[in-house]
Amino acid sequence: MTTDTRATNRALTRFVLLPTMFLTAALLGGVRVAAETHALVFAPPPLVTLALAVLALSLFARGRLVEFGRWLSAERGAAENVSHALTLGALFFATAQAFNSVLPEAGLPRLVLSSFFLWTLWQNQFSRFDARRLLRSLAALFGTAFVVKHVLLSSLDAPGGGWLWRLAASALEGVTLGALAGPAYAGATGYVSFFALALYVGGLALLPPSPAGETFEDGGRAAELVEALRLLPDRERAHVIGELRRETEEEAGQYRPR
Amino acid sequence: MRHRLIQWVGIAWTLLYAALVVWLYAAAPQSVGEVRTQASVAAGTYEVDRARFDAGRDLFLREQYAAARSEWERADPARRDARTQFYVAYSFYRQGWGRVYNDDALFRQGVEAAESALALSADAPLSVEDPELKIHSASELRAELQAGLDRTADDLNPLKVFRERK
Repeated sequence: MTTDTRATNRALTRFVLLPTMFLTAALLGGVRVAAETHALVFAPPPLVTLALAVLALSLFARGRLVEFGRWLSAERGAAENVSHALTLGALFFATAQAFNSVLPEAGLPRLVLSSFFLWTLWQNQFSRFDARRLLRSLAALFGTAFVVKHVLLSSLDAPGGGWLWRLAASALEGVTLGALAGPAYAGATGYVSFFALALYVGGLALLPPSPAGETFEDGGRAAELVEALRLLPDRERAHVIGELRRETEEEAGQYRPR
Repeated sequence: MRHRLIQWVGIAWTLLYAALVVWLYAAAPQSVGEVRTQASVAAGTYEVDRARFDAGRDLFLREQYAAARSEWERADPARRDARTQFYVAYSFYRQGWGRVYNDDALFRQGVEAAESALALSADAPLSVEDPELKIHSASELRAELQAGLDRTADDLNPLKVFRERK
Protein backbone atom coordinates (compact mmCIF):
# COMPACT_ATOMS: atom_id res chain seq x y z
CA MET A 1 0.00 0.00 0.00
CA THR A 2 1.39 3.41 -0.94
CA THR A 3 1.88 6.13 1.63
CA ASP A 4 -0.77 8.23 -0.13
CA THR A 5 -3.42 5.49 0.07
CA ARG A 6 -2.57 4.85 3.69
CA ALA A 7 -2.92 8.55 4.52
CA THR A 8 -6.29 8.69 2.72
CA ASN A 9 -7.58 5.65 4.57
CA ARG A 10 -6.48 7.10 7.89
CA ALA A 11 -8.14 10.40 7.11
CA LEU A 12 -11.36 8.61 6.15
CA THR A 13 -11.28 6.64 9.40
CA ARG A 14 -10.59 9.71 11.53
CA PHE A 15 -12.94 12.19 9.88
CA VAL A 16 -15.79 10.01 8.64
CA LEU A 17 -15.81 6.46 10.03
CA LEU A 18 -15.16 7.22 13.71
CA PRO A 19 -17.82 9.96 14.08
CA THR A 20 -20.27 7.72 12.22
CA MET A 21 -19.58 4.77 14.51
CA PHE A 22 -19.86 6.86 17.67
CA LEU A 23 -23.00 8.66 16.55
CA THR A 24 -24.63 5.36 15.58
CA ALA A 25 -23.72 3.96 18.99
CA ALA A 26 -25.20 7.13 20.57
CA LEU A 27 -28.37 6.67 18.53
CA LEU A 28 -28.84 2.97 19.19
CA GLY A 29 -27.79 3.11 22.87
CA GLY A 30 -31.10 4.71 23.80
CA VAL A 31 -33.36 2.67 21.53
CA ARG A 32 -35.76 0.22 23.18
CA VAL A 33 -38.54 -1.84 21.66
CA ALA A 34 -41.74 -2.01 23.74
CA ALA A 35 -42.75 -5.59 24.57
CA GLU A 36 -46.47 -5.34 23.85
CA THR A 37 -46.79 -2.82 21.03
CA HIS A 38 -43.30 -3.31 19.51
CA ALA A 39 -43.14 0.49 19.30
CA LEU A 40 -39.74 2.16 19.29
CA VAL A 41 -38.87 4.04 22.47
CA PHE A 42 -36.03 6.59 22.46
CA ALA A 43 -34.46 6.97 25.91
CA PRO A 44 -32.27 10.09 26.12
CA PRO A 45 -29.18 9.82 28.35
CA PRO A 46 -30.13 10.29 32.02
CA LEU A 47 -27.97 12.43 34.28
CA VAL A 48 -26.18 9.46 35.84
CA THR A 49 -24.91 8.22 32.47
CA LEU A 50 -23.59 11.71 31.65
CA ALA A 51 -21.66 11.64 34.93
CA LEU A 52 -20.39 8.14 34.11
CA ALA A 53 -19.32 9.34 30.64
CA VAL A 54 -17.35 12.21 32.18
CA LEU A 55 -15.56 9.74 34.47
CA ALA A 56 -14.92 7.36 31.57
CA LEU A 57 -13.46 10.14 29.41
CA SER A 58 -11.26 11.23 32.26
CA LEU A 59 -10.11 7.62 32.47
CA PHE A 60 -9.40 7.60 28.72
CA ALA A 61 -7.20 10.64 29.23
CA ARG A 62 -5.36 9.06 32.19
CA GLY A 63 -4.89 5.74 30.41
CA ARG A 64 -3.79 7.64 27.26
CA LEU A 65 -6.46 5.96 25.19
CA VAL A 66 -7.23 9.49 24.00
CA GLU A 67 -4.75 12.35 24.28
CA PHE A 68 -7.15 15.26 24.24
CA GLY A 69 -4.34 17.84 24.14
CA ARG A 70 -3.11 16.41 20.87
CA TRP A 71 -6.57 15.99 19.34
CA LEU A 72 -7.38 19.63 19.98
CA SER A 73 -4.33 21.79 19.56
CA ALA A 74 -3.54 25.36 18.58
CA GLU A 75 -1.01 23.97 16.10
CA ARG A 76 -3.79 22.44 13.99
CA GLY A 77 -5.97 24.20 11.46
CA ALA A 78 -9.48 25.33 12.37
CA ALA A 79 -11.20 22.69 10.22
CA GLU A 80 -9.13 19.90 11.73
CA ASN A 81 -9.86 21.10 15.27
CA VAL A 82 -13.59 21.36 14.50
CA SER A 83 -13.58 17.86 13.04
CA HIS A 84 -11.72 16.48 16.05
CA ALA A 85 -14.05 18.29 18.47
CA LEU A 86 -17.02 16.70 16.71
CA THR A 87 -15.43 13.25 16.96
CA LEU A 88 -14.72 13.76 20.67
CA GLY A 89 -18.25 15.06 21.22
CA ALA A 90 -19.63 11.99 19.48
CA LEU A 91 -17.36 9.84 21.67
CA PHE A 92 -18.80 11.50 24.80
CA PHE A 93 -22.42 10.92 23.80
CA ALA A 94 -21.67 7.40 22.60
CA THR A 95 -20.12 6.67 26.02
CA ALA A 96 -23.16 8.08 27.82
CA GLN A 97 -25.54 6.08 25.62
CA ALA A 98 -23.44 2.92 25.97
CA PHE A 99 -23.97 3.18 29.73
CA ASN A 100 -27.64 4.00 29.15
CA SER A 101 -27.92 0.88 27.02
CA VAL A 102 -26.63 -1.49 29.71
CA LEU A 103 -28.07 0.14 32.84
CA PRO A 104 -31.34 -1.46 33.98
CA GLU A 105 -34.34 0.81 33.42
CA ALA A 106 -35.57 1.14 36.99
CA GLY A 107 -35.64 -0.22 40.48
CA LEU A 108 -32.98 -1.78 42.66
CA PRO A 109 -30.85 -3.25 39.82
CA ARG A 110 -30.44 0.21 38.29
CA LEU A 111 -29.29 1.64 41.61
CA VAL A 112 -26.89 -1.24 42.24
CA LEU A 113 -25.38 -1.24 38.74
CA SER A 114 -25.08 2.57 38.61
CA SER A 115 -23.25 2.51 41.95
CA PHE A 116 -21.05 -0.33 40.67
CA PHE A 117 -20.11 1.64 37.56
CA LEU A 118 -19.48 4.82 39.54
CA TRP A 119 -17.33 2.99 42.07
CA THR A 120 -15.31 1.14 39.41
CA LEU A 121 -14.68 4.25 37.30
CA TRP A 122 -13.82 6.32 40.37
CA GLN A 123 -11.41 3.66 41.68
CA ASN A 124 -9.71 3.39 38.31
CA GLN A 125 -9.00 7.12 38.31
CA PHE A 126 -6.22 6.37 40.79
CA SER A 127 -4.75 3.26 39.14
CA ARG A 128 -2.06 3.11 36.50
CA PHE A 129 -2.80 1.21 33.35
CA ASP A 130 -2.16 1.45 29.66
CA ALA A 131 -4.65 2.07 26.87
CA ARG A 132 -4.90 -1.56 25.78
CA ARG A 133 -5.64 -2.77 29.27
CA LEU A 134 -8.17 0.02 29.75
CA LEU A 135 -9.94 -1.03 26.57
CA ARG A 136 -10.07 -4.65 27.73
CA SER A 137 -11.32 -3.58 31.14
CA LEU A 138 -14.07 -1.43 29.59
CA ALA A 139 -15.14 -4.23 27.24
CA ALA A 140 -15.41 -6.54 30.26
CA LEU A 141 -17.35 -3.93 32.25
CA PHE A 142 -19.87 -3.37 29.46
CA GLY A 143 -20.06 -7.11 28.77
CA THR A 144 -20.92 -7.88 32.38
CA ALA A 145 -23.56 -5.15 32.55
CA PHE A 146 -25.01 -6.32 29.24
CA VAL A 147 -25.39 -9.88 30.53
CA VAL A 148 -26.97 -8.62 33.78
CA LYS A 149 -29.51 -6.44 31.99
CA HIS A 150 -30.32 -8.26 28.80
CA VAL A 151 -29.90 -11.86 29.91
CA LEU A 152 -30.54 -12.06 33.64
CA LEU A 153 -32.96 -9.21 34.29
CA SER A 154 -34.84 -9.65 31.01
CA SER A 155 -35.60 -13.15 32.23
CA LEU A 156 -37.72 -11.50 34.93
CA ASP A 157 -39.91 -9.94 32.23
CA ALA A 158 -40.27 -13.16 30.23
CA PRO A 159 -43.78 -14.65 29.94
CA GLY A 160 -44.55 -16.70 33.04
CA GLY A 161 -41.81 -14.93 34.96
CA GLY A 162 -38.81 -16.69 33.39
CA TRP A 163 -36.33 -19.02 35.05
CA LEU A 164 -34.63 -16.29 37.08
CA TRP A 165 -37.94 -15.06 38.42
CA ARG A 166 -38.88 -18.56 39.59
CA LEU A 167 -35.42 -19.05 41.10
CA ALA A 168 -35.52 -15.70 42.91
CA ALA A 169 -39.12 -16.24 44.00
CA SER A 170 -38.27 -19.59 45.57
CA ALA A 171 -35.07 -18.26 47.17
CA LEU A 172 -36.73 -15.14 48.56
CA GLU A 173 -40.07 -16.64 49.46
CA GLY A 174 -42.37 -14.03 51.02
CA VAL A 175 -40.23 -11.09 49.92
CA THR A 176 -41.63 -8.84 47.21
CA LEU A 177 -39.76 -8.92 43.91
CA GLY A 178 -41.45 -5.80 42.57
CA ALA A 179 -38.29 -3.77 43.13
CA LEU A 180 -36.43 -5.94 40.61
CA ALA A 181 -38.78 -5.40 37.70
CA GLY A 182 -38.56 -2.50 35.23
CA PRO A 183 -40.59 -1.66 32.14
CA ALA A 184 -40.97 -4.66 29.83
CA TYR A 185 -39.06 -4.50 26.55
CA ALA A 186 -39.01 -6.92 23.64
CA GLY A 187 -36.06 -9.22 22.99
CA ALA A 188 -35.05 -7.01 20.05
CA THR A 189 -33.85 -4.41 22.58
CA GLY A 190 -31.00 -6.73 23.56
CA TYR A 191 -29.89 -7.11 19.95
CA VAL A 192 -29.96 -3.34 19.41
CA SER A 193 -27.95 -2.86 22.60
CA PHE A 194 -25.42 -5.51 21.54
CA PHE A 195 -24.93 -3.79 18.19
CA ALA A 196 -24.55 -0.39 19.88
CA LEU A 197 -21.92 -1.75 22.28
CA ALA A 198 -20.06 -3.55 19.50
CA LEU A 199 -19.91 -0.31 17.51
CA TYR A 200 -18.80 1.65 20.56
CA VAL A 201 -16.01 -0.74 21.58
CA GLY A 202 -15.00 -1.14 17.92
CA GLY A 203 -14.81 2.65 17.61
CA LEU A 204 -12.65 2.85 20.73
CA ALA A 205 -10.32 0.19 19.31
CA LEU A 206 -9.98 2.18 16.06
CA LEU A 207 -9.51 5.51 17.84
CA PRO A 208 -5.84 6.53 17.77
CA PRO A 209 -4.55 8.06 21.04
CA SER A 210 -3.56 11.11 19.06
CA PRO A 211 -4.07 12.01 15.41
CA ALA A 212 -0.38 12.94 15.16
CA GLY A 213 0.63 9.41 16.16
CA GLU A 214 -0.77 8.12 12.90
CA THR A 215 1.69 9.97 10.75
CA PHE A 216 4.74 9.26 12.86
CA GLU A 217 7.72 8.02 11.01
CA ASP A 218 9.90 5.33 12.56
CA GLY A 219 11.59 7.76 14.96
CA GLY A 220 8.19 9.00 16.14
CA ARG A 221 6.94 5.45 16.71
CA ALA A 222 9.99 4.70 18.81
CA ALA A 223 9.23 7.77 20.90
CA GLU A 224 5.65 6.55 21.29
CA LEU A 225 6.87 3.13 22.40
CA VAL A 226 9.23 4.65 24.94
CA GLU A 227 6.37 6.76 26.25
CA ALA A 228 4.11 3.69 26.47
CA LEU A 229 6.86 1.81 28.27
CA ARG A 230 7.14 4.59 30.82
CA LEU A 231 3.46 4.27 31.59
CA LEU A 232 3.67 0.58 32.42
CA PRO A 233 3.73 -0.51 36.08
CA ASP A 234 7.30 -0.97 37.42
CA ARG A 235 7.18 -4.76 37.39
CA GLU A 236 5.92 -5.01 33.84
CA ARG A 237 8.35 -2.38 32.63
CA ALA A 238 11.23 -4.34 34.19
CA HIS A 239 9.89 -7.49 32.53
CA VAL A 240 9.77 -5.84 29.06
CA ILE A 241 13.26 -4.38 29.48
CA GLY A 242 14.57 -7.78 30.66
CA GLU A 243 13.01 -9.55 27.68
CA LEU A 244 14.39 -7.01 25.22
CA ARG A 245 17.84 -7.25 26.80
CA ARG A 246 17.76 -11.05 26.69
CA GLU A 247 16.70 -11.02 23.01
CA THR A 248 19.40 -8.50 22.15
CA GLU A 249 22.04 -10.59 23.93
CA GLU A 250 20.82 -13.75 22.20
CA GLU A 251 20.95 -12.06 18.81
CA ALA A 252 24.39 -10.74 19.57
CA GLY A 253 25.55 -14.28 20.66
CA GLN A 254 24.03 -15.89 17.58
CA TYR A 255 25.85 -13.63 15.17
CA ARG A 256 29.07 -13.49 17.15
CA PRO A 257 31.85 -14.82 14.96
CA ARG A 258 33.34 -18.02 16.38
CA MET B 1 -5.97 18.67 -1.16
CA ARG B 2 -7.73 15.30 -0.83
CA HIS B 3 -7.05 15.34 2.93
CA ARG B 4 -8.75 18.72 3.24
CA LEU B 5 -11.72 17.53 1.18
CA ILE B 6 -12.18 14.49 3.42
CA GLN B 7 -12.02 16.80 6.43
CA TRP B 8 -14.82 19.03 5.17
CA VAL B 9 -16.93 16.12 4.02
CA GLY B 10 -16.44 14.56 7.47
CA ILE B 11 -17.51 17.77 9.23
CA ALA B 12 -20.61 18.15 7.06
CA TRP B 13 -21.55 14.48 7.40
CA THR B 14 -21.02 14.47 11.19
CA LEU B 15 -23.16 17.59 11.68
CA LEU B 16 -25.89 16.18 9.46
CA TYR B 17 -25.89 12.81 11.18
CA ALA B 18 -25.81 14.41 14.65
CA ALA B 19 -28.81 16.56 13.67
CA LEU B 20 -30.63 13.42 12.55
CA VAL B 21 -29.91 11.70 15.89
CA VAL B 22 -31.12 14.73 17.87
CA TRP B 23 -34.24 14.99 15.68
CA LEU B 24 -35.03 11.29 16.18
CA TYR B 25 -34.82 11.69 19.96
CA ALA B 26 -36.94 14.86 19.86
CA ALA B 27 -39.60 13.47 17.52
CA ALA B 28 -39.53 9.98 19.09
CA PRO B 29 -41.25 8.12 16.25
CA GLN B 30 -42.71 4.80 17.34
CA SER B 31 -42.13 2.89 14.12
CA VAL B 32 -40.10 3.03 10.94
CA GLY B 33 -43.24 4.17 9.08
CA GLU B 34 -43.61 7.04 11.51
CA VAL B 35 -39.98 7.99 10.93
CA ARG B 36 -40.81 8.34 7.24
CA THR B 37 -43.94 10.41 7.97
CA GLN B 38 -42.19 12.73 10.38
CA ALA B 39 -39.26 13.12 8.04
CA SER B 40 -41.61 14.18 5.24
CA VAL B 41 -43.29 16.66 7.64
CA ALA B 42 -39.89 18.10 8.55
CA ALA B 43 -38.91 18.29 4.89
CA GLY B 44 -42.22 19.98 3.98
CA THR B 45 -43.22 17.24 1.52
CA TYR B 46 -45.99 15.75 3.67
CA GLU B 47 -49.29 15.13 1.88
CA VAL B 48 -52.58 13.57 2.90
CA ASP B 49 -53.49 10.30 1.19
CA ARG B 50 -56.43 11.53 -0.93
CA ALA B 51 -57.86 8.07 -1.68
CA ARG B 52 -57.98 7.17 2.00
CA PHE B 53 -59.46 10.54 2.87
CA ASP B 54 -62.27 10.04 0.35
CA ALA B 55 -62.85 6.48 1.61
CA GLY B 56 -63.17 7.92 5.12
CA ARG B 57 -65.63 10.57 3.90
CA ASP B 58 -67.81 7.88 2.27
CA LEU B 59 -67.89 5.99 5.58
CA PHE B 60 -68.69 9.23 7.40
CA LEU B 61 -71.68 9.88 5.14
CA ARG B 62 -72.88 6.32 5.84
CA GLU B 63 -72.65 7.11 9.57
CA GLN B 64 -69.76 4.66 10.12
CA TYR B 65 -67.95 7.20 12.24
CA ALA B 66 -65.35 5.02 13.99
CA ALA B 67 -64.38 3.39 10.67
CA ALA B 68 -64.20 6.81 9.02
CA ARG B 69 -61.84 8.08 11.70
CA SER B 70 -59.68 4.99 11.25
CA GLU B 71 -59.33 5.77 7.50
CA TRP B 72 -58.55 9.42 8.21
CA GLU B 73 -55.94 8.35 10.74
CA ARG B 74 -54.22 6.46 7.94
CA ALA B 75 -54.75 9.29 5.47
CA ASP B 76 -53.19 11.84 7.83
CA PRO B 77 -50.94 9.86 10.23
CA ALA B 78 -49.06 12.95 11.39
CA ARG B 79 -52.35 14.83 12.01
CA ARG B 80 -51.02 17.79 10.09
CA ASP B 81 -53.96 18.43 7.75
CA ALA B 82 -56.52 20.94 9.04
CA ARG B 83 -59.28 19.73 6.70
CA THR B 84 -58.91 16.09 7.82
CA GLN B 85 -58.89 17.14 11.46
CA PHE B 86 -62.05 19.15 10.84
CA TYR B 87 -63.77 16.02 9.50
CA VAL B 88 -62.51 14.01 12.49
CA ALA B 89 -64.04 16.62 14.83
CA TYR B 90 -67.26 16.54 12.82
CA SER B 91 -67.43 12.75 13.10
CA PHE B 92 -67.14 13.04 16.89
CA TYR B 93 -69.92 15.62 16.86
CA ARG B 94 -72.30 13.50 14.79
CA GLN B 95 -71.53 10.31 16.71
CA GLY B 96 -71.83 11.97 20.10
CA TRP B 97 -74.93 14.03 19.33
CA GLY B 98 -78.14 12.83 21.03
CA ARG B 99 -81.68 14.14 20.96
CA VAL B 100 -81.96 13.89 24.75
CA TYR B 101 -78.31 14.12 25.78
CA ASN B 102 -74.85 14.21 24.15
CA ASP B 103 -71.96 11.83 24.73
CA ASP B 104 -69.54 14.07 26.63
CA ALA B 105 -66.49 11.84 26.03
CA LEU B 106 -66.94 11.99 22.26
CA PHE B 107 -67.66 15.71 22.34
CA ARG B 108 -64.47 16.31 24.31
CA GLN B 109 -62.47 14.44 21.67
CA GLY B 110 -64.30 16.48 19.06
CA VAL B 111 -63.23 19.72 20.75
CA GLU B 112 -59.62 18.51 20.74
CA ALA B 113 -59.77 17.69 17.03
CA ALA B 114 -61.47 21.01 16.22
CA GLU B 115 -58.79 22.88 18.16
CA SER B 116 -56.13 20.94 16.29
CA ALA B 117 -57.80 21.95 12.99
CA LEU B 118 -57.85 25.57 14.12
CA ALA B 119 -54.20 25.45 15.18
CA LEU B 120 -53.22 23.96 11.81
CA SER B 121 -55.04 26.71 9.94
CA ALA B 122 -53.66 29.59 11.96
CA ASP B 123 -52.85 31.63 8.83
CA ALA B 124 -56.42 31.78 7.47
CA PRO B 125 -59.84 30.75 8.86
CA LEU B 126 -60.65 27.17 7.88
CA SER B 127 -63.79 26.80 5.82
CA VAL B 128 -64.81 23.44 4.36
CA GLU B 129 -67.20 23.65 1.42
CA ASP B 130 -69.02 20.33 1.61
CA PRO B 131 -72.76 20.28 0.77
CA GLU B 132 -73.24 17.26 3.05
CA LEU B 133 -72.22 19.29 6.10
CA LYS B 134 -74.21 21.93 7.89
CA ILE B 135 -71.27 23.46 9.71
CA HIS B 136 -68.49 24.71 7.46
CA SER B 137 -65.99 26.45 9.70
CA ALA B 138 -63.77 24.95 12.40
CA SER B 139 -64.55 27.77 14.85
CA GLU B 140 -68.29 27.19 14.49
CA LEU B 141 -67.83 23.45 14.94
CA ARG B 142 -65.77 23.96 18.08
CA ALA B 143 -68.39 26.33 19.47
CA GLU B 144 -71.13 23.76 18.74
CA LEU B 145 -69.18 21.00 20.47
CA GLN B 146 -68.37 23.25 23.42
CA ALA B 147 -72.04 24.26 23.74
CA GLY B 148 -72.92 20.56 23.87
CA LEU B 149 -70.54 20.09 26.77
CA ASP B 150 -71.67 23.11 28.78
CA ARG B 151 -74.24 22.57 31.52
CA THR B 152 -76.96 25.26 31.35
CA ALA B 153 -80.59 25.66 32.43
CA ASP B 154 -81.48 25.25 28.76
CA ASP B 155 -80.57 21.54 29.07
CA LEU B 156 -83.81 21.07 31.03
CA ASN B 157 -85.95 22.53 28.26
CA PRO B 158 -88.21 19.66 26.99
CA LEU B 159 -88.39 21.32 23.57
CA LYS B 160 -84.74 20.42 23.18
CA VAL B 161 -85.75 17.05 21.73
CA PHE B 162 -86.96 18.82 18.59
CA ARG B 163 -83.59 20.37 17.76
CA GLU B 164 -81.73 19.22 14.69
CA ARG B 165 -78.38 17.60 14.30
CA LYS B 166 -76.10 19.69 12.13
